[in-house]
Amino acid sequence: MQIRITFDDEWSEEFLDKVENDGPWANWELYKLAVQAENHLAIPEFEGLQAPHHLNQLTPLPHQLEAARQVVENMNGKAILADEVGLGKTIEAGLIIKEYMIRGLVKKVLILVPASLVSQWAFELNTKFHIPAVVQRKSYVWDSYDCIVSSIDTAKRNPHRDIIFKQEYDLIIIDEAHKLKNNKTKNYEFVQSLKKKFCLLLTATPIQNKVEEIFHLVSLLKPGHLGNATLFSEKYKGKGRTIYEDEHLKELVNTVMIRNRRADTGIEWTKRHVETIIIKFTPTEQALYDAVSTFKPLSEGAGSAFSSLTLQREACSSREAVFNTLKNMSQKHENPAPEFIEKLNNLFETAKLVERNSKAEKALELIQKINDKVIIFTEYRATQLYLQWFLQQNGISSVPFRGGFKRGKKDWMKELFQNKIQVLIATEAGGEGINLQFCHHLINFDLPWNPMRLEQRIGRVHRLGQTEDVMIYNFATENTVEEHILKLLYEKIHLFEKVIGELDDILTKLDIGNIEEYLVDVVEGSKSEGEMKIKMDNLSSMIQFAQEMKEENLHAATGNS
Amino acid sequence: MQQQEIHDFLLTYFKANHCEILENHPAYLTIQLTVELDKELMNRPFYWHYLEKTGGVPNPSQLTLITDPQQAPADVKGELIHFGSQRLHQIFASTKKLAGFIRLYEEIVQKGHAQSPLYPWLSINAKISYQSDRKKDILLSAGLNLITGKIIEQFHERLLHIQVTPKIPDYSFTLSPLIKPKSGLLRLDSYIRRTFEGDDHTWAERAIERWEDDLRLLENFYQDMEDKAESYYTEKVALQNRYEPNITISIVNGGLFYLSNQAI
Repeated sequence: MQIRITFDDEWSEEFLDKVENDGPWANWELYKLAVQAENHLAIPEFEGLQAPHHLNQLTPLPHQLEAARQVVENMNGKAILADEVGLGKTIEAGLIIKEYMIRGLVKKVLILVPASLVSQWAFELNTKFHIPAVVQRKSYVWDSYDCIVSSIDTAKRNPHRDIIFKQEYDLIIIDEAHKLKNNKTKNYEFVQSLKKKFCLLLTATPIQNKVEEIFHLVSLLKPGHLGNATLFSEKYKGKGRTIYEDEHLKELVNTVMIRNRRADTGIEWTKRHVETIIIKFTPTEQALYDAVSTFKPLSEGAGSAFSSLTLQREACSSREAVFNTLKNMSQKHENPAPEFIEKLNNLFETAKLVERNSKAEKALELIQKINDKVIIFTEYRATQLYLQWFLQQNGISSVPFRGGFKRGKKDWMKELFQNKIQVLIATEAGGEGINLQFCHHLINFDLPWNPMRLEQRIGRVHRLGQTEDVMIYNFATENTVEEHILKLLYEKIHLFEKVIGELDDILTKLDIGNIEEYLVDVVEGSKSEGEMKIKMDNLSSMIQFAQEMKEENLHAATGNS
Repeated sequence: MQQQEIHDFLLTYFKANHCEILENHPAYLTIQLTVELDKELMNRPFYWHYLEKTGGVPNPSQLTLITDPQQAPADVKGELIHFGSQRLHQIFASTKKLAGFIRLYEEIVQKGHAQSPLYPWLSINAKISYQSDRKKDILLSAGLNLITGKIIEQFHERLLHIQVTPKIPDYSFTLSPLIKPKSGLLRLDSYIRRTFEGDDHTWAERAIERWEDDLRLLENFYQDMEDKAESYYTEKVALQNRYEPNITISIVNGGLFYLSNQAI
């Protein structure tokens, strides 16, 4: 076997120059120091981690060290880090970057993260890992610095995109990588065309809905590891999330993915307390809910596929949310039928009659009682704005938070919340990529129908560094679709108390592709309350069954060992 | 690297660079930098440029480095320095830069006025790196006698026990080398290469296996594609960059040493 060998010619030339010119020569003390320094910097073994010796302010947890070691020793520097929310994936990534830098295998690093996390990543790498990471603010930064943190949305656009492709990155890190599950998106295409010598993909939810998602994610990292697209879909199409039943596939995925679960880490976690608060509509609110429930736009035009469910869910949140949707509907049609306009106007009138928001009043009462920092999550921007106004009217200041904010604004909002303001009101898109472990009260003003999204919300506060028990308050209005969902998803099966890994496991046992779509189907497809209830009960029995199966497996497994 | 060792290292470094040590407390050091070291470490080229243009009086910085934060008095303001901190690594790099080449003479305890000969040696401290997607370094110090052609390992360790001086001592004279420095370097190069020829190189074989495995997967992934996408070629290059085994020999420092017959 022929191995390429290179000798340091530069030194030789300079040395011969010095001989020729009789110096200048170095000082003996310094000469000895240089050898001493080199002795400390030399890497004694292929295996093991050097990074911990270089990090004196950081004591990584055992599962984090083990993850870093696995990636370097067994995964050849390409891995999906898929620990559950809050276990410190950033620390693991930092350890790996540091290790490769110390070993001289990595010099240039590109870190692509959600805009809200850019500053935090740079800050942590600098303070905890002594890695001079720089936030990308101007386009010249790409050329002048070795370790850059940027949002993927900035990076994929020109002029940045072209500059990035000219750089030789040794390591590429992508946070919240589950956003790359669809191979048809611009972001996916962008990441695919980057040269990835070493690469880390970070996500707490490697599979959300479909088996193809893991295929796309793994193919980004290591094309061909799960075969090619044709073969993969032949083999697994239609099998939904039973993918995990397939031992072969599971094994393959596990060679490129590390997934620590809270239960395995042996770390003491603070508890979660869940309180459901059922709220009664006022008569006018009830009237609005009833009106949107029976609302059927004309068969043509507005689209027969239109779902009154959207409006129902909005009515459970705020009349402002309903207004917003109605306004969009009326603007969408250039020549609406008079009948349609009349129907819309009736709804507008009904909505106008709503004089108060029972949920908001309850939230106010609760916030006053808690007298500590509180996060409110809502699915709707209109509700977010209303709540901010409403709390302000009652002497409580709050800051908004949503996905669309620019990075600087997000940092600023978080800063305000941490130091000055009692309440933060976030929309769904703000649920990812903000860490708020200094707060331990969370109000779910309305509920997402995808349990994984709910877990993302809770993960903002229930993470490493949280010292208090976390209080979760779920709001639901009585006798509405919201109450149905809450009863089914969240109470009957105790989803809130579950930690994320369990939930993930249970959902994979069920052959339901997308649980949110499935629920919409149940609610809409049912002709009567009774039918819906039966279907919901069926679903919950299935979930319970899967849960029991899992527990049995667990017992069997422990029994065997 | 222990904090005490770092403390000693820093002290030696600044002294060797002619800096005044303002305070040498067991837990910290305060140093008055010279103009040269300010330029070397403090990264303020504009200040120095401005000063040179205007002809002002240079005012190099003072630097306080805390080596033992537990014992340091609370009112001492300075940089915490430890293994892995950027400042220490900057100083390591600076040391290496400032101490790349040397020429020294042995200081012999004289008996009478007899002239004693000093033999020329060419020495290098080299770092041999085995690198694929993993890495390992081996340090090697070798000295070549430029008259006899004899090569000795662990040369640097031996030197540590010898009294040396940068100027040729009185009553000593140097013997002229028979081997020119240039060909001496070539001899050392081939000597170093021979030292690892017989080594266990399964690390390289394994790396090539991993490379071939990944290549197979890649071919399979794109097999249905007539015209391969750009990403196929990019990935192929990435695999080569990652896995291709290579060995680099880099020189930490080295130089000429004139030593008595008994020294080595």
